Amino acid sequence: MSKTGLIFFPAFDWAITPTHPEREERLLYTRDQIFEEGILDNKSIIEYSPRLADLKDIQRVHFCVPNITAQTTSAHFISAGSALKLGDALMTGEIKNGFSLVRPPGHHAMRVVHGNRGFCNINNEAILVEYLRSKYKIRKIAIVDTDVHHGDGTQDIFYHDPDVLFISMHQDGRTLYPGTGFIEEAGGPGAYLRNINIPLPPHTTDEGFLKVWREIVKPLLDNFAPELIINSAGQDNHFTDPLANMQVSCQGYAQLTAELKPDLAVLEGGYAIETALPYVNLGILLALAGKDYTRVIEPQYEQAEQKQSVQVNRYIDKLISYWHDKFRQRPPEKEELFMKKVLYQHSRSIYYDTDNIREQQQEYVYFCPDCPGIYQVISQSDRTIGKNFGIKGISIPIYACPICEEKGKEMWEREKRDRAYDLCFLQDKKNDHYLVDHIGK
Amino acid sequence: MFIGIDIGGTFTDGVLIAGREVLKSVKVPTQEFLSYSIEDALKEILLDVDPHKIEQVTLSTTLITNLIMQDQTPQTGMLLLPGPGANPEQLNFACEYKILSGAIDYRGRLIKTVNLNEVKEACDYFAEQQIQHIVVACKFSQRNPALEKEICQFVQKNYPEFKVITSHEVSGLLNWVRRANGACYTLATREACHEFREKINKTLTKFNLNCPLFILKADGGTLPIEISLQYPLETIFSGPAASALGALACNEEQTTAVVIDIGGTTTDLALLLDGKPLLAENGATIKSYPLPVRSLAVSSLELGGDTSLIIKEGKIGFAPRQGSALCIGGPVLTITDVLVYCGYSEIASPDLIKGQVEAMAEELKITPPQLTKLVLEMFIGQLETKLETIFRIWEEEPAYRIWQVLSAEKERPEKLICLGGPAGGIGRYWAEKNNWQVIIPKYSAVANAIGAALAKPTLKIEFFADTERRIYSTNIGALQGTLLQPLRYIDDAKKFFSMIFQATAKERHLAKDADIETLYEEGFNVVRDGQTKGRIFQIGLQTVPGIRTFLQEGE
Repeated sequence: MSKTGLIFFPAFDWAITPTHPEREERLLYTRDQIFEEGILDNKSIIEYSPRLADLKDIQRVHFCVPNITAQTTSAHFISAGSALKLGDALMTGEIKNGFSLVRPPGHHAMRVVHGNRGFCNINNEAILVEYLRSKYKIRKIAIVDTDVHHGDGTQDIFYHDPDVLFISMHQDGRTLYPGTGFIEEAGGPGAYLRNINIPLPPHTTDEGFLKVWREIVKPLLDNFAPELIINSAGQDNHFTDPLANMQVSCQGYAQLTAELKPDLAVLEGGYAIETALPYVNLGILLALAGKDYTRVIEPQYEQAEQKQSVQVNRYIDKLISYWHDKFRQRPPEKEELFMKKVLYQHSRSIYYDTDNIREQQQEYVYFCPDCPGIYQVISQSDRTIGKNFGIKGISIPIYACPICEEKGKEMWEREKRDRAYDLCFLQDKKNDHYLVDHIGK
Repeated sequence: MFIGIDIGGTFTDGVLIAGREVLKSVKVPTQEFLSYSIEDALKEILLDVDPHKIEQVTLSTTLITNLIMQDQTPQTGMLLLPGPGANPEQLNFACEYKILSGAIDYRGRLIKTVNLNEVKEACDYFAEQQIQHIVVACKFSQRNPALEKEICQFVQKNYPEFKVITSHEVSGLLNWVRRANGACYTLATREACHEFREKINKTLTKFNLNCPLFILKADGGTLPIEISLQYPLETIFSGPAASALGALACNEEQTTAVVIDIGGTTTDLALLLDGKPLLAENGATIKSYPLPVRSLAVSSLELGGDTSLIIKEGKIGFAPRQGSALCIGGPVLTITDVLVYCGYSEIASPDLIKGQVEAMAEELKITPPQLTKLVLEMFIGQLETKLETIFRIWEEEPAYRIWQVLSAEKERPEKLICLGGPAGGIGRYWAEKNNWQVIIPKYSAVANAIGAALAKPTLKIEFFADTERRIYSTNIGALQGTLLQPLRYIDDAKKFFSMIFQATAKERHLAKDADIETLYEEGFNVVRDGQTKGRIFQIGLQTVPGIRTFLQEGE
C-alpha cells in the first residue's frame, strides 16, 4: 500500500500559558490550509485518530521526577501516542510513511526529566524509537532532526546507543537555544559517530540547508543503512520564524523531505504560526505523499534572502569538509574511547528554561566488549521553588548482553535502597521492565 | 399523521404513521418519472384518509443522485483560484477547469489580485466549447468572497448567456475542492429541482395535501423543499439514511447496532451509535468526486439477494443479477435461493429449487450442504470486510482536542438490525455463526419509508469568527459576513452565533424546543510580538439528529 498516514492533533485545548508560543493557536492556520486544500480526500493520504501512549512507553525512555504524572498532561500522552500509532500502521504495512502533526513537541526532553525544557516534557521521537525496538525488534534506526534548535534531548537519550544514529542540523548553539549541538558532541565512547551535529550559521538558506543534507546527512545515512528513518520535523529554520535566524523556505523543507524520505516525520518546533507553518506542514505532507509540492510558495517568499552570503557559503563548506575528513579516518576502537577503563564518567549541568530548574548530573557507562553496557545516572535538581529531588537511574540497554543484563539487575538490587537519593529507577529495556523505588530522605 | 415515501431503484415505498403506529404501508414499482411513483404511492396511502389530517410528507428521493450518476446534467466549467498550495491536477475536481491568478489566505487576506484578462480568456474558451455553466471557486472564499464575487460579476456582465455560481454561495466548508464540486453539481441540478418541485406541488394539490413537504438529506435530517432548491445536493444518497433511521424507529432510543440493508443487487451497512447514525467525517462522494455534503458513513457491497451463482473454473462464484430468485420465477440460482434451500427464508418452498441446487453441487463434486455453506460463507466473508471498514471509519474519526481523545471509548456493538428481503435469512445465519443479537423488525420491508416519515429536521452550523479581521463564516453556503460588533469574549461569540443559528433553524422549520448540542466552543488568542491582537472563535452547534417517535412494536 502506498498510503501516507497522517495524525493531526492540534490540541486546540492545550497551552503552556495563554500567550506562550506553545498555545492553542499554533496549528490553527495549519488546520485551515491543510483542510482547505482538499488533499485529505486524496486516497493516498489516510488520517488516523490520535491515541494515548501508555505509562510504560514513557518509562522505556525517561526517568520522570518524581513521577510521570507530575511531568505530563494528557496532551503529552496523546502527542507521544500518535507517533506510536503511526509506527504501528507503518510496521503492519498499512502505510508507506507517516506524519505525526501534533503538539506538544518533545525533542528537548532528556532521559531524566525534572521539568519542561524548551517547551518539551517527554521526547516523542525517543518514545517512538524505543516502542518500535521493543515491539518489532528493529535494530538500526536513524533520527534526523531538522528543527532549528539542537535536538539536545534526543541526543542525550541515545548518546550511548550505537544502534541509533542521531543527526541534528540546527542553528549554531553559540547563537541560539539550547546552546549545544557542536561537532565535538559525537556520541559516547560506545557509540562514537552515532551522534552527528551540524551547527549551521545564521542566515543559512535553502541552498546551504540542502547542501548539508546532500553532502553530510545523506552519505551518513547510506553508510549506516538504518531499517527506519525518523524525522524530527521542526519548522523553525523558516525565514519568518520569530525565535531563530535562518532563511529556509517551505520549498527547502519540502525538498529535503522528498529526498530524505523519512518513514515517520514528527512535528517539533516552528513558531511562525501564520507565515511558515501552514505552508511548511502542507509542503511536508505533500512531499511524503509523493505529490507535487512545488506550488506551495509562501506569500512572503520574496522577502526571504534567497541568495546565501559568501561567509555562510564558506562556513558550510568548511563544515562539510570537516565531516568528510572525519568519515575518511578510521574511528578509534571502543576500548581506546573508554581510555582502557571499565567506567566512563561524565558530569554536567542542565538548565530547564521553561521551569527555571538547574540539574546536576553524573553519568556512568560501564565498558562491555559485547554490548552498549550498563548506563547509570545520578541527578540532582536544585530548584529554588518547590522540591528538589535527587535520583539515581540504572538502564539496561535493549540489546544488552546476558552478562550486563545480570550485572544491571544485581546493581539494582544492591543500590535501590541507597538512602542518598529520593528515588531509584530501573529501566530494564531488555525485558521491558521498569521499576521505581521511593526511598525518601 | 405523517407520510414517508422512499423512492428506490425498483420500488417506491410509502407509509402512513400516526403516533407510534404504522397505519398503512404500500409498495409500488418505481417509474421513470418519479412524480408518478409518488402519485401511485399517495393514491394507496390516502385511500379513506382525510388529507387535512396529514401533518407532513417527507420524501427520500434518488432524483439528484440519478441525474448526476447518469450524466444527465449540463456540462460545467470551473474558474479556479488556487493560490499557493497543492497542484490542482492532483485534486479531484468534477469538471474541466481553468487556473487563474488571484489568491486569498486562511485569514481572508488578499494575497494576489485577479487578472481579468485571464478570466476573459478562460470564458472565451468555455464559450467555444459550448460550456455555459460556470463555477467560480477560490481557496478561502468563505473567509473572503471578494475575488469570487468580482469574477462572477465580470462574467455575468460580459457573458450574459452564462449561468454562474460561486463556491461560497454553496458551502462554507473548509475544503475548496468539495465546495467547487458542490457548486458544479448545484448549478447543474438546480433546474431539474425546480421542475420536480413544480410537479410535486401539482401532485400534492391533486390529493388536497397542503401540509409542509420535506426532503430527506444524506445525513438523516430533513429539509423543507423550498430550502432544498438552494441546496439540492443535500438530498443525494438519502436511501441509507432512511433505512438507518427506519431501523432505529423499530428499536429502542439508545440503540447501538449495525444496520444491514440487503437489496436485490447491493447491500448497505450503517452504524447506529446510541441512537444516532454514524456520519462520514468528510462528507459524501459521488462518482469519486468529494462533495460538501454531510452524509452517513455507509459501506456498500455490490452483492444482494438477486446476485446469481455461477461456476467458474470448477469453483463457485458470484455474478451480477440476472433476474429475481429462481424459486420465485427467476432464471438462475441466487443467494436468496440458497437461503430458501437452507430454511433461512420462507418466501418459497425449497422443493422448487432442490433439483438445481443438487445439480450444481454435483457439478462441483461436493454435497448440497457443502455448497450452500460455501455460498453463505463467501457472502458473509465479504460482509465482514465491509463491516470492518465501517468500524474503522468510526474508530479512526480524527480528534483535534484532548477531551475528544479522552472520551473516545469505542466498543464494537454485537447487534445486527436486518432490513430488506434476504436480510432476515442472512441475519439468522450470522447470529448462529457469530453469536450476535439479530433483530429483524416487523416493518423491515418498508423501513426506509418509516425512516423518512419519522426523520427530524437537522441543522449543524460550524461558526468561525476572527475579531482582528472582523469576519465571520460558517459551513453553510453564503452564511458569512463582517463582524459589526466586537466579540471580546467567547460568550459574546456564542450570543452572536446563537442568533444566526436560531434564524437559520426557523427558516428550516426546526422545532422550537429542538435539542441543541454544542460540539465544541473555543477561543484562540491571536498573539503577535507578545501582544494579543484579537481572538478567533470556533463554535459548532447542531440539533441532535434522530427520529421523532419510536414505533410501538419492535420486532
